[in-house]
Amino acid sequence: MERTRKKKIKSRGALLFAFNSSKYNYADMAVYTARRIETFLGIPTTLVTDVESVKTITADINTFDSIIEVEPDKSNIKEQTAWINKGRYQAYELSPYDETLLIDVDYLVNSDTLSKTFDLSDTFCCHSNTHMLMHPDASQEKMSAYSYDTLWATVIMFKKSERAKQIFDTLEMVQNNYDHYAHIHSFVGGVYRNDYGLTIALKIVNGHTDVPSDYIPWSLVHVGKNTSVYPNEDDVQVPCDGTLFDFNTEFTIMFDHWKKSKVRKEYMSIKDMDFHVMNKDLFVGIMNG
Amino acid sequence: MDTKTLIKDAKARFSHNSAKAYLKEKYSSKLVIAEQGGLWKADAQTIGFLNSFSEETLVVIDTFDNPVKVDRIELLESLTKTYTKTMTEWNSEWKELERKR
Repeated sequence: MERTRKKKIKSRGALLFAFNSSKYNYADMAVYTARRIETFLGIPTTLVTDVESVKTITADINTFDSIIEVEPDKSNIKEQTAWINKGRYQAYELSPYDETLLIDVDYLVNSDTLSKTFDLSDTFCCHSNTHMLMHPDASQEKMSAYSYDTLWATVIMFKKSERAKQIFDTLEMVQNNYDHYAHIHSFVGGVYRNDYGLTIALKIVNGHTDVPSDYIPWSLVHVGKNTSVYPNEDDVQVPCDGTLFDFNTEFTIMFDHWKKSKVRKEYMSIKDMDFHVMNKDLFVGIMNG
Repeated sequence: MDTKTLIKDAKARFSHNSAKAYLKEKYSSKLVIAEQGGLWKADAQTIGFLNSFSEETLVVIDTFDNPVKVDRIELLESLTKTYTKTMTEWNSEWKELERKR
């Protein structure tokens, strides 16, 4: 009998890490981001979280393709509270997908642009450049005056491969020896930053050279300080208790321009553009309309 | 409060420079396409370069600095299509922005 072999279809999905803190409900943000991912990118989302955080989103649990509960690492202290951002290196092992988009929960997906990242590399890519809304001339962030430009862990695309595994294994090693690397690269250690961890790990894997295909060829758009974001319309749930969403993609960006102790308000409108909201209160404001 | 009232009450001024930079960022990402084993930017330079040859296949340096052997006509068609669509959208949003001046 002739044997037939089915061609394996590679699975794609997004992976979000969310652990609630005393100040913010990150799991709630993950629900909102997962819905936007499904709407604009058409891929399922897996949530990596802890037992306590998952309890706060029981009504929205079906938003996720799967939920993986892990033991949170609460050793990172920022502004006297635990900031659970360690353990991102586990993304490689935890992802149920062949091709994964690892996205921060405070990244607002407004378009299908990230779908293109799957075509960029066979292993791994992340952002190396940023664009600050309302600060078009802002310089790129460096880890320190004596070190590399920062790479960004906000959006990472990786495919199950030896090389991607090596990058995440190295990220674990850097996280475990963070103060040592802070000393070498002359930045302030203490509070662990995934962006710095990733920058160091990727440079180590690449023998301290640049591999152009590791970098997404457009900028990561940030909403910076003194900048507010207002949705032009409300998100609409269809039907009102349904599972479909008509998301607003138009926003007014307002900026306080300080000059000679006086503030002048400036604004612009944007539409259909993804952006990263560093200020969590701002993200919650957008989420709640 | 709707955003129009908010802008009016705050006496905010439209920032043309920021808006122009935002449009550039937004549409630059749309000009990038992956095809025939390479990554390409549908810009005037690449389209002009492909147009200047008559060979069926050609080796072209892609965005990642890799030499990629391509079907010239096929790539030219894809890049021209992407360029036209993206630039039309960019122009339309730019005109909308100019009206705010």
